[in-house]
Amino acid sequence: MSLSMKRSLMGTMVALAVGWTGLMPAMAADYPTKPITMLIGYKAGGQTDLVGRATARVMSEQLGVPINVVNKPGAGGAVAAAGLQREDADGYTIMFHANSVINTAPFLMKRVTFKPEDFEYAGMITAYQAGLVTQKDAPFDNLEEFVTWAKANPGFSYGSLSPASRMTMDQISQKEGLDVNIVPLKGGGDMINAILGKQVVLALSGGIHNNYPDEMKMISALTTFRHPSAPDVNTIGENGYPIGMDTRTVLILPKGAPRDILDTLANALKAAETDEGFKKIVATANVPIMYFDVDASYKEMQDSYTSNGAIMKNAGIEPK
Amino acid sequence: MRRADIISGMVLIVFGLVMLFIVIPTQIDTAPDGFVSPSLVPNMMMILITFLAGLLIITTIRNKAKETQEDAAPPISKAELVAFLKLGSVFAIALMLYLWVAPLAAGIAIIVGSLVALGERRPFIIIVMPTLILFGIWLLFYKLLGTAIV
Amino acid sequence: MDYLITGFYHVLTPSTLLWVTVGVTLGYVLGALPGLGKATGVAVAIPMTFYLEPVTAIAMLIGIAKGSGAGSAVSAILLNTPGEPSSAPTALDGYPLARQGKAQKALKMGLFASVIGDFISTLVLIVLAAPLARYALLIGPIELCAILLFSLTFIGGLAGKSLIKGLIAAAFGVFFATVGLETETFIPRLTFDILELDSGISLVPMAIGMLAIAEMIVQAGNMKKLDAETANMYSKGRKKEDNIVTASDWRRSLPAIFRGTLIGSIVGILPGLGASVGSFLSYGATKKASKTPEKFGTGMIEGIAAAESADNAVVPSSFIPLFALGIPGSVIAAILIAAFVLHGLTPGPQMFQKQPQMVADIYAAMLCASVILLAVGYAGQRLFSQIIRVPIRLIIPGVMFLCCIGAYMDSSSVFSIYVMLFFTVIGFIARKLDFSFVTFLIGFVIGPNLELTFRQAIQILDQQAINLIYHPIAIIFIILTMVTVVWIARGSGSSKRAAKAAEVDK
Repeated sequence: MSLSMKRSLMGTMVALAVGWTGLMPAMAADYPTKPITMLIGYKAGGQTDLVGRATARVMSEQLGVPINVVNKPGAGGAVAAAGLQREDADGYTIMFHANSVINTAPFLMKRVTFKPEDFEYAGMITAYQAGLVTQKDAPFDNLEEFVTWAKANPGFSYGSLSPASRMTMDQISQKEGLDVNIVPLKGGGDMINAILGKQVVLALSGGIHNNYPDEMKMISALTTFRHPSAPDVNTIGENGYPIGMDTRTVLILPKGAPRDILDTLANALKAAETDEGFKKIVATANVPIMYFDVDASYKEMQDSYTSNGAIMKNAGIEPK
Repeated sequence: MRRADIISGMVLIVFGLVMLFIVIPTQIDTAPDGFVSPSLVPNMMMILITFLAGLLIITTIRNKAKETQEDAAPPISKAELVAFLKLGSVFAIALMLYLWVAPLAAGIAIIVGSLVALGERRPFIIIVMPTLILFGIWLLFYKLLGTAIV
Repeated sequence: MDYLITGFYHVLTPSTLLWVTVGVTLGYVLGALPGLGKATGVAVAIPMTFYLEPVTAIAMLIGIAKGSGAGSAVSAILLNTPGEPSSAPTALDGYPLARQGKAQKALKMGLFASVIGDFISTLVLIVLAAPLARYALLIGPIELCAILLFSLTFIGGLAGKSLIKGLIAAAFGVFFATVGLETETFIPRLTFDILELDSGISLVPMAIGMLAIAEMIVQAGNMKKLDAETANMYSKGRKKEDNIVTASDWRRSLPAIFRGTLIGSIVGILPGLGASVGSFLSYGATKKASKTPEKFGTGMIEGIAAAESADNAVVPSSFIPLFALGIPGSVIAAILIAAFVLHGLTPGPQMFQKQPQMVADIYAAMLCASVILLAVGYAGQRLFSQIIRVPIRLIIPGVMFLCCIGAYMDSSSVFSIYVMLFFTVIGFIARKLDFSFVTFLIGFVIGPNLELTFRQAIQILDQQAINLIYHPIAIIFIILTMVTVVWIARGSGSSKRAAKAAEVDK
């Protein structure tokens, strides 16, 4: 509390000092000299918001200026990202978000037309461990066993959180000829309810199932990598379905932000990788740290955008 | 209220039909096969509203209770309409200030504007009240809670 | 139990108590200010808690939640501007009481009912969290759909003089709730290509516009009358019993409080209902149980007791699914998850096994917060009740400004202000034409869940209605809904007669 007060007081003083030296363009060399605003495109209290706030704390210590977190929810982050595009590319407005807003949302929503090259990226820090989950005592442990079980039990229920998660089940059931009832779910909490209450047999989890090791198990990872929390479980690609999609948290800046500002931010972000407080928070939330620097982030954005687009196109998903 | 009920019933019927046949079909796409239609619930609600509005007109006409004094007065009094317009313009001015000048100016405009619109003329109050409220909010959010509003 | 006693040792330290008091006071003040409320308070306080000990931080957040729940009754009673839909029923009888010069009586009853509801519900949480949460899981989409249907019918049947108009308002509420991306296909509905509408119309700015600003405009139009009333109220000389809760008030209100606490506790455990449903159901049940239902809305003290006890009982019991299963039962519970994780706690069954002492500490802090709330609220109501002496002319600007801040903070964008203003206009018209904005809000709150659970139910039942026989709880509520429909249909006739009788009395 007192710390934050001191900090914001310092920030104000710095801001004042900068203010009277005139309105010359922010010099990248001495960046940053005033408080940074960090947009998060979800409501306060969610997992991404939490990781974002923890990141902001570490980066603020590294950079020596306060970072104010502003929640600007709407359309899965697209509202905040569209707002970011209108901001100056001076590094004082940044956005911390899941990269799905750029590499997945455009394929689902007609009015979201972002492309990777519409923004600059200053590093990625954590990954989401999406997977197909079921009750701990379910009579199958992997995708093959599930398919065998499902053929013997037509009319089972699958919990779907979005068109993308529906697509996952459609791909499997089309190939194997399964009879499935797709139950729409709204959000992670609804998913937990449905699994624990045995309303559905299988559901897509964005990673929250890791908080229930005694109640849930994952039968297939929907990412391109095996999950650090469940290294023995196959990825969906290894199961024979090339539909793995990765989501990571990324620092997004408006188009045109200078490279040295991006590097400064990425270096500050890297500190989170080894910060004890940050590690504790993400470990509790079961979020793996996977740091990418500026170049790796650009590549990851491009690659995932292309591969996600191909997967969606194959599955016949049209933006709505 | 009798006349108001009949008029609002008619307005609602027109509204419901416009929604049903023009707005909902153009604003909600159809879903692919196998999905429940996304326009199912909006359509159901508009059908319900149109039906109930019709019912409202019929019951009001059939219910031939004599006009009481309360019924004769228009539901919105002139003073209320004036207040609505006055405060509405205060908001309009504040929004313009927010968009083109600064959020702070908009905040002041809301307080000062509505004070003046409601008949406050003492300069002391007009100066002191916005100062106190804005300072209090700044203290509470920016200093005590460490959050920025704008 | 041993843990709980140790928990009290841990909590009853000056620093923890201080922060709980800070939380409760902050929540109470934010709640009492029109336009600001629960969600604003807790969200704003999260950054603060970075710097506190885990138990202290969580206790402070819970303090804010409890304080704002009780505080929101203040603006509802004094100004008829409930900060949140859940205290709208408090205003129905609270504001008339305040206009009769009995503001302090109403405020005190509101506070007592809040604290009792909150305290008992906290005890329920402590004793029954784990086992109850397991049973709550039996309530799946099918059961929930039936319960929602019942709640909507029951509440819809109460509001307003005309059943038809009440239903129209409710239909509009459900209709507006469909705006945004549809859950299953992500097809935008009625968004007019506005990206901000994709996630739907936000409840906070909407409720602020409909409940608070629209009311301020009406009061601005009747300023002279209201100021004359105020002057008259204080010239008459005041009776002591107008300021206190008398023994006879208690007799009338206690059953309502206990009923409200029970309803609130149950509603809190169930996913997807929320505080507004709790307080409206409780208000309705008390009205239904009363011998003089037609007097509700004119200043019945038990109306306040019913609404406030349920409103506040929802908060602790919504933590039951959070603590036992890690499922957030309310907005505040969702925000608390972040606070838990921030401090290395994962809400859910493991919390009880891994850190039982921590859980007990939080329980102890919650009980302390209840007691502190009583003290803070008692001091606060004395202060806030003076507001009623201030001429309306000076109140309206302040309220409007605070409402703008509350709405703006919901999304940090001016779009929220547009939403607020849009619903101000609708609220103003609805108020003047006697369309119940209460049923509108309930339709809006329940609508999306009703639609979603209905679709879920169809899929889970394998599209066969006959499979319903495996869901007896759902069948019970479907029957209850039918009974309610019959009761409303018959009741509306009798209430018309009662209204006519009341007319003759005048």
